Amino acid sequence: MKFRVYRYSPESGLKPYMQEFVVETTRGMMLRDALLAIQEQDESFAFRHSCGDGVCGSDSVNVNGLNMLACTTPVAGLRQPVLVRPLPGRPVIRDLVVDMSQFYKQYRSVEPWLKRQDPLPEHEVHQSPEERDKLDGLHECILCGCCSTACPSFWWNPEKFLGPQALLTACRFLEDSRDQAAEERLDALAGPYKLFRCHSIMNCVEVCPKGLNPTKAIGRIKAKMLKGSL
Amino acid sequence: MSQGASGLRAWLLQRATALYLAGYAVYLLLFFILTPPRDYGAWIAWIDNPLHAVGLMLFLGALLLHVWVGFRDVLLDYVPLFPLRLALLALLGFGLAACGFWALRIIMAPLLI
Repeated sequence: MKFRVYRYSPESGLKPYMQEFVVETTRGMMLRDALLAIQEQDESFAFRHSCGDGVCGSDSVNVNGLNMLACTTPVAGLRQPVLVRPLPGRPVIRDLVVDMSQFYKQYRSVEPWLKRQDPLPEHEVHQSPEERDKLDGLHECILCGCCSTACPSFWWNPEKFLGPQALLTACRFLEDSRDQAAEERLDALAGPYKLFRCHSIMNCVEVCPKGLNPTKAIGRIKAKMLKGSL
Repeated sequence: MSQGASGLRAWLLQRATALYLAGYAVYLLLFFILTPPRDYGAWIAWIDNPLHAVGLMLFLGALLLHVWVGFRDVLLDYVPLFPLRLALLALLGFGLAACGFWALRIIMAPLLI
């Protein structure tokens, strides 16, 4: 099977280029296995990966124009030659390895932890099954970055717009019955940039390897904001 | 929420004006299909009804506000350079205001005769 992978090494002084590799495929082969096979052919080829099972979110790459996790993508269904590029819009460190600092900074900015005003009880903070259900579709995010790096609004304003991933996380804490900082969180998202650069383009929904819907989460935040201001 | 209003307010304004524009567009379409004004006199008679005049002015206002929010979004997305963005926003604001006053003059003219 033919692969064309993005190669770039800042030290080499060469411009980025696509290098072709031919990989012998096996039954049930995932793209991550193919990238490992390519690495065996050329040890200088760099890409991130860890768990190999769609849990850690390390091996997100752009394949034939769409962001996806290499470990959960079977090579069998891919159009040849398979074009493998780094996540779009992020500075390339080397080959498929990109600098995700900006992405993590936006994630940190939504303060992704529970905040309590009341003193913590002796036991756990209880939650009803219905309250817990509200977190479904929000808490499963693995921070792979497929969504935010597929978002045009994040391409144009990565410093000011939080991006689908951070906003999904913001919604996850806004919806949590144990969190007591909703107003503070909504105030932090105010202004024309942080939340409202989302134009419901929905690239994030299309690429999320966990099948989550950041656009819907953003809509939920807007509804909460509206409710709080009227 | 003073700073935040420019995000939420613009978004809400865009949605609200879109609803009116969509409704009025259907009305206009039906109006032109069912009872198209034949001549200038028919137009004058139509606009002479305060309900029609106010409806049309509301349409005009909604349209201008909708255009303002839409273009502002485009400028916020694609023009990161602040002085240039400010200049373009001012130009857009004056342009839309001019369109508004011009259209208002056209709507009001038959009423003032």
